[in-house]
Amino acid sequence: MTDLDLSFEPENTASKPRRGLSLGSIVLIAGILLTAAVFGIALARQNQTQPQSGPAPDFTLTTLDGDTIRLSDLRGKVVVINFWASWCGPCRVEAPALQKVYERYRDRGVEFLGVAWTDTERGARAFIAEFNQTYPNGLDLGTKLAELYRIQGVPETFIVNQNGQIVQFIMQPITEQSLSAILDRVLANGA
Amino acid sequence: MKPILIRAALLILILTAAAGLAGAQDTTRRTVTADEVNAIAKQMYCPVCENIPLDVCGTAACAQWRDEIRIQLESGSTPDEIIRDFVARYGDRVVGTPQDPTLRALSLVTPWIAAGLVVALALYLLLRWWRQRPALATAAGATQPADDDYRARLERDLQARR
Repeated sequence: MTDLDLSFEPENTASKPRRGLSLGSIVLIAGILLTAAVFGIALARQNQTQPQSGPAPDFTLTTLDGDTIRLSDLRGKVVVINFWASWCGPCRVEAPALQKVYERYRDRGVEFLGVAWTDTERGARAFIAEFNQTYPNGLDLGTKLAELYRIQGVPETFIVNQNGQIVQFIMQPITEQSLSAILDRVLANGA
Repeated sequence: MKPILIRAALLILILTAAAGLAGAQDTTRRTVTADEVNAIAKQMYCPVCENIPLDVCGTAACAQWRDEIRIQLESGSTPDEIIRDFVARYGDRVVGTPQDPTLRALSLVTPWIAAGLVVALALYLLLRWWRQRPALATAAGATQPADDDYRARLERDLQARR
């Protein structure tokens, strides 16, 4: 009697073992990596703060009077760069102090530059007139300067010494006393 | 004619002319509704807050910007002109484009890359299915003789056992 052989192993011709990743997996991994990269860069950029030391980023400001001022042209002077906006309450608080300090120090080698951030020209002009500001002020067109100095709000003030180095960053409304003290120190160091 | 009547006639003439002039001035500036302002503001974002549309933001900065929109509409600017002017003055961020150059580039390129990958994947799957179709039919046909052999052997074995 012959043995009944019921074993049957048909040759599997349709599915061969796959080597490597399928296109779907590659697309998925690429998508995950791209998303991670976007979030990673966003997170890294968020952690970047305003420069508090080192060379002050150079810029050109067109004032509301039509003059053009380049920061690097002011080398040899102490420069107070103040970012403000007419809609900003704390900016209104510090505006009289800024003007007073400017009047006191302008003949001692100190220059002030006011930069109106996300402000309308009408609003900025009204603000300047209201507080009788006589130092150069201009609009931050395209918010280029704000990007350069990584502004997160207003008012923000940078003090640049005679060598073009940022020596102080102030992230609050300045007072006459505090700004005077800083300028005295910077002028003394530069003398 | 009495002098009083002449004076009255002159007064009426002056008032009519003044009213006419005022009317002519009104034609250069039109009345703008809050809805018109908000329709444009909806397409822009607050300069201070994160991802808050300009039309719903309650900050003083947004109020000032909405006022600026209203003034520009009154002076005859179109919505596109106003948005272009805001972008020129305050940068791409007003229309929601990231400020950071890297993120800006990624935000512009990523949707196109994603769309391209989806199209490539769809084409690849379609082509694979198209190529495998005859192969599958052949494979299905090829199993038939094997199955017949098996059946024949089974029949033979069963015959032998009877």
